[in-house]
Amino acid sequence: MPIKKRGTGLTAVADAWQLADIDVTASYPIRPYTAVMAEVAKRIANGLMKCEMVHGEGEHAQFSIAHGASMAGARATTGSSGVGVAYAFETYSPIAGGRCPIQALIADRTLDPPGDFGSEHTECLNLRDNGWIYGWAENAQESLDNSLMFFRIGEDPDIMLPQIVAMDGYFVSHIAQDYEMPDQEQVDKFLPPFKPQFRLDVNNPVIMGPQIEPEMGPPLEWDRNVVMDRVKEKIVAVTEEFGKIFGRKYAPFVEEYMTDDADMVFLLQGAHAVTCRSAIRYLRQAGYKVGMCRLRWFRPFPDTALKAILPKFKVVGVVDTNTSYGAAGGSGVLLVETRASVSEVPGKPLIQGFTSGLGGETITHEEFFKMAEMMKMTLEAGRIIQDAVWVNFNDYLPAVSEVQAAEQQVAQTKE
Amino acid sequence: MATAEMIKTIAQAPDKEYYLPGHRTCAGCGPALAYRLIAKASGKNTIFVGPTGCMYVANTSYACGPWAVPWTHAQITNAGAVGSGIAEAFKMMIKKGKIKDEYPNIICMAGDGGSIDIGLQAASAMMYRGHDVLFVMYDNESYANTGIQTSPMTPYGAATMFTPPGPEIPEAKKFFPKDPMAIFCGGGHPAVKYGATASIAYPVDLMNKVRKGLAQEGPAFLHVQCPCPKGWTFPANRTVEIGRLAVETGMWFMYELEDGVKKWSILPKQLKPVEEYLQTQGRFAHLKPEHVAKLQAWVNARVQTLGLEVPLPPAR
Ligand SMILES: Cc1ncc(C[n+]2csc(CCOP(=O)(O)OP(=O)(O)O)c2C)c(N)n1
Ligand code: SF4
Ligand SMILES: [Mg+2]
Repeated sequence: MPIKKRGTGLTAVADAWQLADIDVTASYPIRPYTAVMAEVAKRIANGLMKCEMVHGEGEHAQFSIAHGASMAGARATTGSSGVGVAYAFETYSPIAGGRCPIQALIADRTLDPPGDFGSEHTECLNLRDNGWIYGWAENAQESLDNSLMFFRIGEDPDIMLPQIVAMDGYFVSHIAQDYEMPDQEQVDKFLPPFKPQFRLDVNNPVIMGPQIEPEMGPPLEWDRNVVMDRVKEKIVAVTEEFGKIFGRKYAPFVEEYMTDDADMVFLLQGAHAVTCRSAIRYLRQAGYKVGMCRLRWFRPFPDTALKAILPKFKVVGVVDTNTSYGAAGGSGVLLVETRASVSEVPGKPLIQGFTSGLGGETITHEEFFKMAEMMKMTLEAGRIIQDAVWVNFNDYLPAVSEVQAAEQQVAQTKE
Repeated sequence: MATAEMIKTIAQAPDKEYYLPGHRTCAGCGPALAYRLIAKASGKNTIFVGPTGCMYVANTSYACGPWAVPWTHAQITNAGAVGSGIAEAFKMMIKKGKIKDEYPNIICMAGDGGSIDIGLQAASAMMYRGHDVLFVMYDNESYANTGIQTSPMTPYGAATMFTPPGPEIPEAKKFFPKDPMAIFCGGGHPAVKYGATASIAYPVDLMNKVRKGLAQEGPAFLHVQCPCPKGWTFPANRTVEIGRLAVETGMWFMYELEDGVKKWSILPKQLKPVEEYLQTQGRFAHLKPEHVAKLQAWVNARVQTLGLEVPLPPAR
């Protein structure tokens, strides 16, 4: 029987790892992800999990340990946050290129400077070009469910890619929530044991990761490119099967909220979707025809899904909780990817960028109200008025007073 | 600890090779010879971890490699960590009954850079945590694969691409090398119960040290001097001879540290002057008498530190 629990995104992933019977995990302390390792350590000590926890001497080692374990045929995990994610950077491409489907939990955190513990998606987005598959969960339940789905997709013999279960630091990793821990039998039905076609086996010797001649590289890279496309098909099938077995149905790529008659939508990923939804309910009362699109996957980027969905709207406000200084459009990574996804689609909407929720700040209702008003002004103007808006820093300059008035007006609907 | 089956003479060494012809190392390559002997001694039940360096690049060109046992690349930075992961994966999968394998010999074959410089952190942590892995540092005394640059093991006075001699720096390399045995086996890594230096010039001794290291439960360390014709500039047919000369002049010492007890493997009757070694190699061609004297003084001091009772060459 599934168990109703109260815990965090991190205990939820520990539950998933326990149910997945992981063999090896590699730890190193950094907030906020650390708590998952503390949780796993406790379960190992208490005999609840049979897993070797190797205490890495840094994140580079953590990922290398998991890499080695995976090549030996073990189901291996690790995780990190912030500068720790950056410290391991060398290892990401070899793990993905070596087709080792380890799983990392990244509870995101700002990079230094400044020394800040708060959530920001930047560090995890930095490794987007290395061939890992990942997406952000918005709460504890989705973290657990993603962990299981990601193992299943990543370890599929047609895929064999490492995965990141990403979550907003603190918002998802540390806030206590209700969730359901599935039954072992359900999980065993959904997730077969990890049995790679090739592993380090003295009876079937293979060599892994040899040097090559220049012309031998592009075919391997082409293969890594092709497999990313194949991931999209698996996501559809696996999300569907997950729903059947566990009774929780997720949109494979993009969750839509109040989009049926919407002119404008917020597009974002992760925990800020929770506040976004409630802001939308107030905005609707105040007459804004606004909805939300929440991305469940970042790699592969759900461009096909967005091509089908976004032309329904007139304005899309992409909310970036990350920095990409100097990026096209002046906002963050999501803006660039979203615009590129639909740039050639007839009837595409106006796509504008907002940067908000940096440094672990919540994006407040009032900030969503302001963004909605700016989107409305874009809609009325029929063109992009201002390329990138860092909310509270350079809100539509010529129209600050209107934006403020609108903010107060919608706020009244909360009373 | 399992007891290692010792090899008495080269004629008794196993015929079977696990490091085969078909690679692109230079003629006379010392590290390649070391690989062959180490693979022979460890046998079929072995997995090699090969961080970036000559023994990765020159061995695996064209997407194939000369090993008849499993081998994996590691980054130059992380052989110790990848080895740790492999070791614990086997332990846990065997314990859970997920695989039927016998626990394999896991050998990291790292260059001096991959062991004592950029790879030091991972090597140290593997030894600290006590994984059942043999860490072999094949020492060609430079960053060879990148075209011969100075490493912490490059001897004082050697010319490399980054330490060319010139009027301002006549001796070329200015620093004296690190002491890996002291670092790994000198008490700083208590889990390491067995460590040894070895040389390709003494093949039976090398193979037996490999077997002892593998028989040891937990981490073991081998520091193997491997002359490199390209980096040290000497003809390809003199590799073994130069390895021997290193031992005879005190530029290399052959000993084991087992449970903290030192045992000499080779005891020269009398050390030859270091100059006899230096003049065999182009990398030392620029040295002036005062530099040679400095190296000789370093050798003499090493003899003292290591507690070797051997007559020193007469002072000049
Ligand atoms: C992180 C990183 N930095 C630099 C290099 C470039 N590099 C490739 S091989 C090599 C030399 C390795 O030296 P060593 O470990 O002594 O092995 P050798 O080549 O001498 O056998 C270096 C520096 C690399 N591969 N990775
Ligand atoms: S450069 Fe030296 S170590 Fe490298 S392959 Fe040539 S001889 Fe061997
Ligand atoms: Mg070297």
